[in-house]
Amino acid sequence: MAEQKKSLLKVHSYTKECEDRYEGALPQRTKTSEEGPLLQMTLSDTILDLCRANSLWPMTFGLACCAIEMMCCGMARFDMARYGAEVFRPSPRQSDLLIVAGTVNRKMAPAVVTLYEQMPAPRYVIALGNCAVSGGPFAVEANYDVVLGVDKLIPVDVYVPGCPPRPEALIEGILQLQEKITNKRFPFPQNKMPEGA
Amino acid sequence: MDVKNVVKQWKTIAASVEAVDFAVTGYDYDLSVAGAKVPELANFMLKSGFYLVDLMAVHVTPSIEVVYQFAHVETRCRVMIRAFVDANNEIPTISDIYQGANWHERETRDFHGVVFVGHPNLEPLILAEEDVDLKPLLKDEKSLKDVAAIRRQQPEPKPEAAKPEAVKSQEQS
Amino acid sequence: MNVEPLEDDRHHRFVLNMGPQHPSTHGVLRVLLELEGEYAMHLHPVLGYGHRCHEKIAEHKPAKSFMPNTARMDYLGALIYNQGYAQLLEKAAGIEVPQRAEYIRVITAELNRIQSHLLWYGAYLLDLGAFTPIMFAFDDREHILDILEDVTGSRLTYCYHRVGGVSKDIDDKFVSRTRAFIERLRSRYTMYEDLVNGNVILQKRLIDVGELTPQICARYGVTGPLLRGTGVAYDIRRAEPYSVYPEFDFEIPTETKGDCMASFMVRYREIEQSLRIIEQALDKLPEGPSMAAKVPKKLKLPAGDYNSSVEAPRGELSYYLVADGSDVPYRLKVRTPSYSNLSTVPETCSGMLLSDVVSAMGSLDLVIPEIDR
Repeated sequence: MAEQKKSLLKVHSYTKECEDRYEGALPQRTKTSEEGPLLQMTLSDTILDLCRANSLWPMTFGLACCAIEMMCCGMARFDMARYGAEVFRPSPRQSDLLIVAGTVNRKMAPAVVTLYEQMPAPRYVIALGNCAVSGGPFAVEANYDVVLGVDKLIPVDVYVPGCPPRPEALIEGILQLQEKITNKRFPFPQNKMPEGA
Repeated sequence: MDVKNVVKQWKTIAASVEAVDFAVTGYDYDLSVAGAKVPELANFMLKSGFYLVDLMAVHVTPSIEVVYQFAHVETRCRVMIRAFVDANNEIPTISDIYQGANWHERETRDFHGVVFVGHPNLEPLILAEEDVDLKPLLKDEKSLKDVAAIRRQQPEPKPEAAKPEAVKSQEQS
Repeated sequence: MNVEPLEDDRHHRFVLNMGPQHPSTHGVLRVLLELEGEYAMHLHPVLGYGHRCHEKIAEHKPAKSFMPNTARMDYLGALIYNQGYAQLLEKAAGIEVPQRAEYIRVITAELNRIQSHLLWYGAYLLDLGAFTPIMFAFDDREHILDILEDVTGSRLTYCYHRVGGVSKDIDDKFVSRTRAFIERLRSRYTMYEDLVNGNVILQKRLIDVGELTPQICARYGVTGPLLRGTGVAYDIRRAEPYSVYPEFDFEIPTETKGDCMASFMVRYREIEQSLRIIEQALDKLPEGPSMAAKVPKKLKLPAGDYNSSVEAPRGELSYYLVADGSDVPYRLKVRTPSYSNLSTVPETCSGMLLSDVVSAMGSLDLVIPEIDR
């Protein structure tokens, strides 16, 4: 019984899980350290990535319904500040995370691309909601204006489905993005929820 | 507002004035008017204190039908005014009388290609400028229907047909 | 070096592009401002950045299955949009709705209206530079979302109404939670009033800004809290009573001045009236089914045209349906309140300070996808 409990509360890492799963499938990891750049920046890069992941500055960019859930995320109860992503910036030049919250249509598309290009690198994109993922309820024959998925315009890092997604889903999306940036799951230690809890 | 008086005035301008059952249709009067007389009627509506609820177009044969919806803030009186565009898809604007019609007319120009003669600025409002000729809400040949097909069928249910007449006789008395 | 005076006055003017990505336009509205110093001399709103072809989609599927789309037009008043559309189809197909369903519709619609007003309250004050009220408003709003989520299954874009009733009956838990919420929200009034409504800065920003008159409202078709702010007690719930609204005792709050403060106070006082309606509806809630017994699977709409108007949080919402006898609408036009309300901006806001333009536009309570559809 005690052992079972122990295994349930084991430190859980998605990256570790993924590695274990794909170890056999991948041929060999390419080693770059030997033929790497003259200046070894690995350590400083790691530190910078840690800082970036834990202080993401999203842009205030609401397109439609999902923007309300994005607002909920920043406000009381859900409070994105817990994960370091609460500093909503109105200007793309000050932000490094573009949350595409809603439907992009053909009139809006050039503006979205411009906003993305105005953001300083490294920049990340979350497609929030079915409309931004694939066109959602507007991916029908009669549609003549909606762009079916924002990934047709700009590269997307994390997709968050839902119509609209719950605030928890967006927070999970941000955690996934942090994991993508640093290869670590934040906040750690991340305990897996016991089954049936 | 004196409804009887207003109805009398309508009859001098409009081609037909019909009282309909509010419980079934959701509005009180159904007016048909010649396209050229729309500004005159709109002027009268403004004077009687009506506000412009909506302006829309319906694509039917023989030509596009423009529907104006008015309502009154004091008494319940919701009016639909119908007018057909002419052969060049033209109809006089009412945006100089009801300024709120300005955007509605631009939208109708976007979606159906109706040209409102005298409108100050008939540019695309909702669609992008390159989509000026898209006219997305025009029906294709297969789905286009005759105007008779979308009109209410009167005779079959007897109690419903009797109601508008009763309203009419009240007005006349 | 002598600077020659400019001959043309227009040289002093410059054009500022506000939006489509701007925090105070609430979405994707774009306004071209012709500025002279800090004064906005002309405003040209550009719409269509949220156009999603709702009206075209409506012509291509059975009338019943358009219900989810109505929620996505005005996501803050989704249940009221549901109600309007359900009433439209019931009118067209001649379906009777059970009394209990009507009561549930009214309760949920009023909860939805409070939720919309609370969000506006927070977001508007955020536009004006006050950050704290939005936290309190969202805190209260989350309680409504919890209650509605329990019965409708979603947080924002509800698809709860069906033709002939509602999809799920409410239970005792819903009733007790709603009652607890009413008590809670009433206890917060003093806080809102002390913190916000009597604030000197707020009053300086709102009083005498963006004045409307009943005449302007009639010419532009302005409805809702903005019209009531000018002293006209016009509310579709009273003027063209629908559902079971005639059975409730509630006031229509009005102000006389027509400025931003007037519409602010009208919205604030409407919250209490909505609570009163909910309370009475919970007291009177009849027993019975929440769904009509016989609703045909394929809803044939007799040829003709139908109109259904309801009072949305932002004003009058009208659905106009042209049917040709099949189950697919021939044409569906949605008259959304924000569209007409926003069209006053070029007239009422020209000559204003730029910062006043923000407070005047915020008081319109804009929802952009509702304008663009």
